[in-house]
Amino acid sequence: MKKICDDTECMARLADGDTGALRNLYERHGRALLRLSLAMCRSRQAAEDLVHDTFVALLRGPHLFDPAQGTAFAYLCGVLRHRISRHFRQQKRWVALDSGENAVVDHEPCPTDEIARNETSAAVRQAMLELPLQHREVIAFCDLEELSYQDVAAILDCPIGTVRSRLHRARALLTLRLASLEAVDLANEPSLVHQGST
Amino acid sequence: MNPIHPQVAALLARYRQELRDNLPSDSLDARINRLVAGSQKNLTRRPGPRRRYGWAAAAGIGGIAIAAGILIGMRIERGVTPANLQRQSPALPADFSLWPADSVALQIPAEYSPQGTLVAVDPRAQSTGKRYWIDVVVSNDGTVRIERIVPAANKRKEGVPDGITLQAP
Repeated sequence: MKKICDDTECMARLADGDTGALRNLYERHGRALLRLSLAMCRSRQAAEDLVHDTFVALLRGPHLFDPAQGTAFAYLCGVLRHRISRHFRQQKRWVALDSGENAVVDHEPCPTDEIARNETSAAVRQAMLELPLQHREVIAFCDLEELSYQDVAAILDCPIGTVRSRLHRARALLTLRLASLEAVDLANEPSLVHQGST
Repeated sequence: MNPIHPQVAALLARYRQELRDNLPSDSLDARINRLVAGSQKNLTRRPGPRRRYGWAAAAGIGGIAIAAGILIGMRIERGVTPANLQRQSPALPADFSLWPADSVALQIPAEYSPQGTLVAVDPRAQSTGKRYWIDVVVSNDGTVRIERIVPAANKRKEGVPDGITLQAP
């Protein structure tokens, strides 16, 4: 509760023109935002750019934060989510110059990023990145960042029931994808296979 | 409840732990520091609603000014007709018009100067020599030509005032 009050105070200071409060908010939430961004983006560079953009947006419009609607962290997550969504929309506009066999697959993660170091984590990361964005983000918020359904509903601006159903579907898709990558054995889970294929 | 496959849960837990080991790079820290150090005014701002409304207002005022100019021009164009000009200038002869008349004829009194050239004189001044009338025609395109020069005694009739007289061509 103390932290929430501090965040609200920081946002108020920022709205009053004290840019030093931005530094406090970054120190408190920067790592969590980066984790979320890394979970949803293919490259580390893009993830860091989006976190930076989130704080730029915060600096430009701190008055847009309404403490009555949620915590400062939930607000920052919402801003980041919009940035990520826009990032992927913009990426769709780009077309590879070389569309032949020699074309470079641009969505392969850069080897230097090393976000997931071991093989199984790499498989999870690859499976997650192949999910639709709305399923990817609900897994990132609920399963990786372990936020409550209420917080996630506030971030996604939807009812809690929608969060639950979306998470259910996202987990099923992720499980199937991991099974196709042979990271999970679904031999004894015929119902899940049927559910995921519908 | 949203059941999750135990193997998937374990994989997600491991992936979560690896994500937690990822720290912001020095580059990101430096960018945030620069952001904090720079004032809000130095940020490149996007054109906000006010600026967009400003452009819209300027465009609107410009459009109104152009429309007003066209209307005024049309009124002036319609107003300057030979009939209107005649109505507005009662001092001019009834058959005189500047436009679209082809030309204008002037009668200028002149006398010979000591240098032997004809010069225009004041018609009310005392005549010192033989006076002539020079009929000058000014065409609508600006060319001026001397139509004829006649001695005043031959040309002028009684009852006709002296001086420059405008005549219709």
